Amino acid sequence: MTLSTMLSTMAGGMLKTCGIFVLTLVGSLPLGMIVALLRRSRFTVIRGIVRVYISVIRGTPLMLQLLVWYFGPFYLFHWSIRGWRFPALILGFILNYAAYFAEIYRGGIESIPAGQYEAAQVLGYSKTQTFMRIILPQVIKRIMPSVTNEVITLVKDTSLAFTLAYQEVFSLAKQISASQTSFMPFVIAGVFYFVANYAVEFAMERIEKALNYYR
Amino acid sequence: MKRTLACILALSMTAAVFAGCTAIPAAAPAAQPAEAVEETAAASEEAAPAGDEGTFVFKHGFDLDYPPYSYIDDNGQTGGFDVEMAQAVCEYYGWTYEAVPFNWDAKDAELNAGSCDCIWSGFTVNGREDDYLWSMPYSDNTQMIMVKKDSGIASLADLEGKAVGVQTSTSAYDLLNDEEGQAELAKTFGSLEVYETYTIAFNDLKAGAIDAIAIDVTSGNYLMSGETDFAYLDEELGSEQYAIGFRKDDQELCDKVNAALEALVADGTYDAIGQKYPDIYNYLTLGK
Repeated sequence: MTLSTMLSTMAGGMLKTCGIFVLTLVGSLPLGMIVALLRRSRFTVIRGIVRVYISVIRGTPLMLQLLVWYFGPFYLFHWSIRGWRFPALILGFILNYAAYFAEIYRGGIESIPAGQYEAAQVLGYSKTQTFMRIILPQVIKRIMPSVTNEVITLVKDTSLAFTLAYQEVFSLAKQISASQTSFMPFVIAGVFYFVANYAVEFAMERIEKALNYYR
Repeated sequence: MKRTLACILALSMTAAVFAGCTAIPAAAPAAQPAEAVEETAAASEEAAPAGDEGTFVFKHGFDLDYPPYSYIDDNGQTGGFDVEMAQAVCEYYGWTYEAVPFNWDAKDAELNAGSCDCIWSGFTVNGREDDYLWSMPYSDNTQMIMVKKDSGIASLADLEGKAVGVQTSTSAYDLLNDEEGQAELAKTFGSLEVYETYTIAFNDLKAGAIDAIAIDVTSGNYLMSGETDFAYLDEELGSEQYAIGFRKDDQELCDKVNAALEALVADGTYDAIGQKYPDIYNYLTLGK
């Protein structure tokens, strides 16, 4: 196999890796916020459920969760899982990352001093207004470094898709390496991950700078 | 003002993420995803029962890590002896062929859940006789010890105190852990190193990190092609047969595939496909 064939074969895997990455972020960033707010709900039952969800998700390996989401419908309900591979994969990733993002958001929300809520109340802000206009912008600013960390971890975690035999870049690297008895595919995959993460770092840094509007 | 800012932030975050990652694959030359491997996620229509030829979708489950039975070929396409044979069987009946590459460790879950109809990927019968419904065996396989020619290791007894590598979930691995098999021999090794893939084990052998590899002869031949410094010991570790594994209640499909195999042997297709894979040709058993 020539290097260019190897690259073009792996390019398909790179696209799929990007697909998992983008879909997971698009799903888990907003879902994480909902989870974080539910985690602070005044209803004990809701708080309890969300707590268990976060605890289970963080306490078990993502690889295992992916297997459960994919095979669960068949083994529990005997549903056909034809065509369910990719949806299960994305569902697993989104629910996993939402739990981590939720805790990051919660940390950010709780770091805002209570005095600000009181001041907002005095000024006649409603609860929603207080959160959307005063709290959230500050939270976003504060949590950026933690979010960057998590997003970079996500880029590398996409390789766990091999569990469900989804042909992302790392599965392909393994398979081409086996058929070509060569380490080159791993080198290509390594460069790909690094470049992808470098792009993430770059983008996040720009966002952090843009958020630094009081300096 | 602040609300719009928050919106813009959320949007730009997503946009940055998109921009950051779509640019990379575009830079790679002639993006050609391995389409043959692509799972038809959209295909929602249920497979018709096996009696209904023409519309039946034959879902071939295999491991893409197992050259030369099922692997990614030099053109970046799904190929291998087992893949070509499965396609030939589909052609024989007019079935639609669907490739279902899976993670070898999850093969039973995939088969039982119906995401594939068979496990056909250099699949060893021995030791699993009662676990699946088996087709006729179509290939022999022997487990051997591969060493460097200048290592001074000439027999199984010489392996005492040496470091031996093996790939996890392979026949050679099972054999070395089976009390009925070669577990006694394995106890004499200095260490038994278990690898994720033989590619890495082979590299360790080259680098001198281990002294020998226990491996299926067919995979071993594939690894050694183009290399001159390696050889097998004369003594075999064990031998076994490959066949196609079906769900136990799938007698009808099993019978059909068996009938197709017989027909493909008779008309020379089996031999013709086998000749494309010189590393395993001598081990193919049907029609000989």
